[in-house]
Amino acid sequence: MTFHDAAAREFPPFSTDACIKCNVCTTVCPVARVTDDFPGPKYVGPQAQRFRGPSSLELVPDRTVDLCSGCGICTRACPAGVLIAETNNRARAAIVEQRGSSIRNRLISDTDLLIRLGSNPLAPFANFGLRNRLLRWMGERVLGIHRRGPLAPFATRTFRRWWRAERRPTAVADVLDPTRTVVYFHGCAVNGFEPDLGRDAVSILERNGYTVIVPQQECCGLPFVSNGLYDTARRKAGRNLASLAAFARAGVKIVGTSTSCTHAIKAEYREMLDLDDEDARAVADATWDICELLVDLHDRGELDTGFAPVSEPLPYHPPCQLKSHGIGTPAMDLFALVPGLRAVDQQHDCCGAAGTYGLKKERWQIAQDVGAPLFAKVRAAADAGASRAACDSETCRWQIEQSSGVPTVHPITILAESYRRADADRGRSWRRVV
Amino acid sequence: MPRADVVVIGAGLSGLSCAAELAAGGARVFLAAKGYASTHWTHGGTDVAAPAGARTPREGVATLAAIDGHPYGWLDGALDAAIAAHRVRLDTAGIGLVGTLDDPLVPIPTAIGTLRPAAILPAAQAAALEPWGDDGLLLVGFGRYRDAWASYAARNLRASAWEAGPGEIRALEVDLPDLAELHNLNARSLALRFDDPAWRTRALATISARIPPGAWRVGLPAVLGSAAHLAVLEQARSTLGHEVIELPSLPPSVSGLRLATALERQIMGSGGRVQVGFDVVEVERDRRRIVAIHTEAASRTLRLAADTFVLATGGIGGAGIRAHPDGTLEERVFGLPVEAPPRDGWFSDDPLVPHPLEAAGIRVDDLHRPIGQDRMPLLDNVRVIGSALAGMRYLAERCGDGVALASAHHVASSLARSAVAA
Repeated sequence: MTFHDAAAREFPPFSTDACIKCNVCTTVCPVARVTDDFPGPKYVGPQAQRFRGPSSLELVPDRTVDLCSGCGICTRACPAGVLIAETNNRARAAIVEQRGSSIRNRLISDTDLLIRLGSNPLAPFANFGLRNRLLRWMGERVLGIHRRGPLAPFATRTFRRWWRAERRPTAVADVLDPTRTVVYFHGCAVNGFEPDLGRDAVSILERNGYTVIVPQQECCGLPFVSNGLYDTARRKAGRNLASLAAFARAGVKIVGTSTSCTHAIKAEYREMLDLDDEDARAVADATWDICELLVDLHDRGELDTGFAPVSEPLPYHPPCQLKSHGIGTPAMDLFALVPGLRAVDQQHDCCGAAGTYGLKKERWQIAQDVGAPLFAKVRAAADAGASRAACDSETCRWQIEQSSGVPTVHPITILAESYRRADADRGRSWRRVV
Repeated sequence: MPRADVVVIGAGLSGLSCAAELAAGGARVFLAAKGYASTHWTHGGTDVAAPAGARTPREGVATLAAIDGHPYGWLDGALDAAIAAHRVRLDTAGIGLVGTLDDPLVPIPTAIGTLRPAAILPAAQAAALEPWGDDGLLLVGFGRYRDAWASYAARNLRASAWEAGPGEIRALEVDLPDLAELHNLNARSLALRFDDPAWRTRALATISARIPPGAWRVGLPAVLGSAAHLAVLEQARSTLGHEVIELPSLPPSVSGLRLATALERQIMGSGGRVQVGFDVVEVERDRRRIVAIHTEAASRTLRLAADTFVLATGGIGGAGIRAHPDGTLEERVFGLPVEAPPRDGWFSDDPLVPHPLEAAGIRVDDLHRPIGQDRMPLLDNVRVIGSALAGMRYLAERCGDGVALASAHHVASSLARSAVAA
């Protein structure tokens, strides 16, 4: 969350002086809810911060801050405006700087590398490995990636490869009317694991009058931020900003389907990585979550609302990263436009996954316990007739799907399906007329 | 963002109650708050009025209503309906509310062993209101839980002048099952444990085994369950075989947390939205109307347009009014003028005595629109409720909950009437 308080923006730990020790953060922390090992946001944040120097080279008073999953709920609940989660993340980065990081954390953060290795015609072999119990057991023993950590299967062809094969636009030169053009930031999930979601997003944007451009881009860097690996994150962020800035300055919106990537670009590049220059601000201001953009279109009366009925109950979980956008729950506004769709916000704090947190051997149980009430609610909704659940963020989707056994999709998947049905219905009636 | 009928700013008792009443009446309500509020660190009871000398809340209200400029001067008529509506909401949530405006204000014990006057309390605290007769008070503390010290509270209570108090006050420290290895117990983590039927059965049996013979009311830290509170309370009473009194703990207060959660659920259940972490950073204004507010977002801002804006951001002790080092006071959302004592009269000499500054707030007309020096409304579609109002002394008069509920009800019902008229 971006704060207007300049000093806090410059260095989030400054904001801890505003802490009034009310413990509201402790009452909302999902990790403190399930484990006694984590003393809660107040202790590892504003309390411990008094013993931390502004230099990351000074000794860190305690390592329990590493149990913070980074969901950010504490920052939003704080009545005094303390940037608790951001302070904790910086403390973790200081620990990493002092004591180094594990190979495991570097590996699970490096989605670009994983996609290069896995998302290709040989994906079925990699996916066999991901499903194979013996290999997963070895992965847990050797690497520390929990054998039941939610990992999505690799796609046989990346989204980018498909885009290039289709010879679709990629350059600033392809911008004709900036107001009718968007850049699609697909993120790693769409690129390597869920390319169909990317195609759905593009079709929805095109249907609503946008030309979609997919320029050079790489992982937003968020997994590295979450694991305290700021240097690598900064390099990735810098390259993304270099590619995206020209579009932002031309007045083109940058749209993403991953609320995690878009939040990183909107806020974390500046707040956590100190990339606070003109380019970073222009790109942040131009970046939109796709549902946020569609609701904005609807507010202006420009959204195609020809949605065909999707008559089903739909349990919906707004992910923590979406909540940190400060834009409410735009997917719920869009669901309300689809006839017959009965979307219900599950009103649960966090699914537990928190990006790479739920994959780690030593964190997996915490992540499961955090999400358990949500999984139960989703299962109950499935028993009452829901065939699937919805969530805007990929690692949350995979966690909910794996732990509840209920297929979990991005809101865009449902909207695209409704549009397709509408087209099919029109096709049928047209044929009948002829 | 779809347009709302009413945007309520603030998630304290007044904002939550007002939003709940409006949403239940069919209005499209969006509640935006900077953070969670005083509910999370106060007792969850209903302090209406307890100025010196008042025997009942109603008497207290009459005393305060006579003070020039006090909100009870015009809100006293809304109180009965407001408390009734609050009671319905708390009954629905399984929290319950015992006592009326005409019941006596009696001293009830706090977690640190002081006494405070109360008449209207959640069901779990209500046994403290009954005359003690020959009953004793047995305060129970839990080993490793550091926010409620039974023996400290008992010592303070024994030393206090508690007229018509319990015949005997005793303390008991009990080690609850499975907690021996833990070191981060707080009220919320204990309440979540009590929600678990298997654990609480063992925990209550452990407490029960340690209760000495006699006629006791058992004072427990207010951790008897969160979602399953009612079931926990009933089981505690039947297992212990004595009446049970929850004593709200140091923050976080589970009693207040239950209240906030219940109201939030009711707002959302009626189709309203509750968004916390939404600090207002910008206001769109057209002469004497607010067109929209903008809340802080990861980039840009979120625009919330509505017909009416209810300001429930709290007073000097909350987030609604900010004091600057130069002695000026600022209402943070709309920049409204703040009525306050002069700078050199802000504080009492004794730091532990409530300070005159707590009367600072926004002056309003009968519709609760903010007014200026000339007593004319400054903004036509803004309503101010709760402790943002000028002239009330939250601590000194113990009137915060009553003013919050009465002003919330007054504004919600007048908005509902004008909506019907339109």
